[in-house]
Amino acid sequence: MERYLKPAGNKRDYRVLLIVSLVILTVPLWARLIPGEVLHMDIVNIMVLTGIYACAVLGLNLLVGYAGQISLGHAAFFGIGAYTTAILTTRLHWFPSWLGILLAMVVAGVIGYLVGVPVLRLKGNYLAMATLGLGAIASILFSQVKWLTNGNEGIMGIRYLSIFGFKFDSDIKFYFAVWVLVLLIMLFSINTVRSRVGRALRALHSSEVAADAMGVNTGSVKTRVFVLSAALAGLGGALFAHYEQFVSPESFVFSISILFITMVVVGGMGNIWGGLVGVLFLSFLPPVIQALPQWIPGIPSSVTNFSNYELVLYGLLLIVFMIFMPRGIAYGLARGAQMASRGAKHVGERLQARKYEEHK
Amino acid sequence: MALDSNKWAENKLLWSALAIFALVVVLTVSLNGSKGLQWILSGLVVGSIYSLIAMGFSVIYSSTRVINFAQGEFSMLGGMLMYTFATKAHVSIWLSFVLSVLVVALIGAAFEQTAIYKLRGSSVITVIIVTIGFSIFLKAIAKWIWGTDPVKIAPFTGEKAITIFKAAIVPQSFWVFGLTVLAVAALFLFFSRTLVGKGMRAAAANSDAASLVGVSTNTTSLIAWTLAAGLGAAAGIIIGPITPPSFSSGLMLGLKGFSAAVLGGLGNIQGAVVGGLMLGVLENIIAGVLPTGYKEAFAFLVLILVLLIRPQGLLGKPEDVKV
Repeated sequence: MERYLKPAGNKRDYRVLLIVSLVILTVPLWARLIPGEVLHMDIVNIMVLTGIYACAVLGLNLLVGYAGQISLGHAAFFGIGAYTTAILTTRLHWFPSWLGILLAMVVAGVIGYLVGVPVLRLKGNYLAMATLGLGAIASILFSQVKWLTNGNEGIMGIRYLSIFGFKFDSDIKFYFAVWVLVLLIMLFSINTVRSRVGRALRALHSSEVAADAMGVNTGSVKTRVFVLSAALAGLGGALFAHYEQFVSPESFVFSISILFITMVVVGGMGNIWGGLVGVLFLSFLPPVIQALPQWIPGIPSSVTNFSNYELVLYGLLLIVFMIFMPRGIAYGLARGAQMASRGAKHVGERLQARKYEEHK
Repeated sequence: MALDSNKWAENKLLWSALAIFALVVVLTVSLNGSKGLQWILSGLVVGSIYSLIAMGFSVIYSSTRVINFAQGEFSMLGGMLMYTFATKAHVSIWLSFVLSVLVVALIGAAFEQTAIYKLRGSSVITVIIVTIGFSIFLKAIAKWIWGTDPVKIAPFTGEKAITIFKAAIVPQSFWVFGLTVLAVAALFLFFSRTLVGKGMRAAAANSDAASLVGVSTNTTSLIAWTLAAGLGAAAGIIIGPITPPSFSSGLMLGLKGFSAAVLGGLGNIQGAVVGGLMLGVLENIIAGVLPTGYKEAFAFLVLILVLLIRPQGLLGKPEDVKV
């Protein structure tokens, strides 16, 4: 069993990625074919936001799931990315938005480096609290440094993303921009995990001292993965700014950091597919619950009014997953698929045996 | 020995920190007069609350090596239950106080039994995420029951402010001081005089050795969580009449309490008291001098600086790293 599930990732991951890419990139084709009376949700719109969060969550999965370094402040980098491109493109009218997004990644990465070098010396509980503190300071700065961020009113009128004159000015166009990036990050993650760095990360996760003793430069590896995850969160934030065309401190508070962590945990920490599964699951949960009464009549409105118990559910999900399913949904899916294939093989053998008997 | 008193007199860092702190206080009062005194008095009130919450963090941390991210929610629940009992159901103040503390302590105990007990030996990340999940859960339940607006709790005695050297102080502040002193004294007696308390100290120092001589780590953990939840609830109740609690007030209280605990030395009860009072007073001085928006950031700055420069805090000893 372990052969298929070992975290090192194997050739099969590329095949799965190919299939996942085909499915995801054709979503806009068939999503618009299903009539609205059946679906009751705008799949493309939800998927765009899912992809934006996925940038941050995939990076965080490398940091938390693989390197075992927790961060409870990644909304800060998401916010730094969003504000970087928002400020640049609204203040300087000639500033190309694709360069804004690139710079957002750079700024988030540089700040991640400056913060990461001292903070990553801390471990476990202390690291969690320090990153939480940093996240809290960042969200205070977003609302207090008014000359730069325009305070709680936020920045309005951010332009759509455009590359060399091509404007991503509709949901569908933006969809492809975001998901091509996410799938590239996915490919990059699979490669990273299979590489020397990936093995160093896992060594770090099991025991920092042992990894050190085996010649892994733990400090440098930790910093690099932290910077990478910060830059990816910055990318997500920048895409968010150009999609929503509006940023305000509310979008980058503590609960967003927690949402990112929840997505990693629910999807499966240290599973290369965990981040993607988690972000898809938690992004589609609210609209699916809201659409329930249209599909099945007679569901009381207290069930469908998701904002009532959204947080109760997230809290319970975190507790239940950590206690009963610490490896997350992705592991469950992989195991299910494997059991199914084994079952099919078993049935096949039985059939063959029966044929053989009949033949006799 | 985390819960044990260290040699106070020999801790030069502590004395220099206290000296600087005293200097800042004297400077503030002499430069700002009665306004400065006002800041310091309100700082002591908030600081007492931080101390109580910090003690909750420390008690749990020293017995189970868990940082309870839901500690602030215990305070929030305490305040909310007090509102239900005292303001809504018109139960007498002291009975409401006891009932609220008991209910929250029971919630703490129940969580320990259902989740923390199952997670013994799990990785730090796992336990952190579970306590975060619990805090989100409690917050959401509170929002469900009490709505989003802050609730009003009547002061224990009178509302008329007393003036000391032109600095106004509400009577509730004296209840805060008195009950904090009482709680600290009770906790010290518990840890130094009772068998259970001594057992908990032993378990905090070395849980393997303690279980060899018959201290049950399961019981220790349960008592720690119950105590911490009760302490947190008490803090939330007595500050309620001064700062009305709402479903979302737990997060900040918890983070400030944690900063205080780290400043004093996580797992150290005296440290929690020192850290809480210092943080409360300094924060209020900062709020008086700088634009108010930045006040909240101060505690986090202290938290990060202490973690980076001296993670064991003012009173703590460096932790041994086990491989």
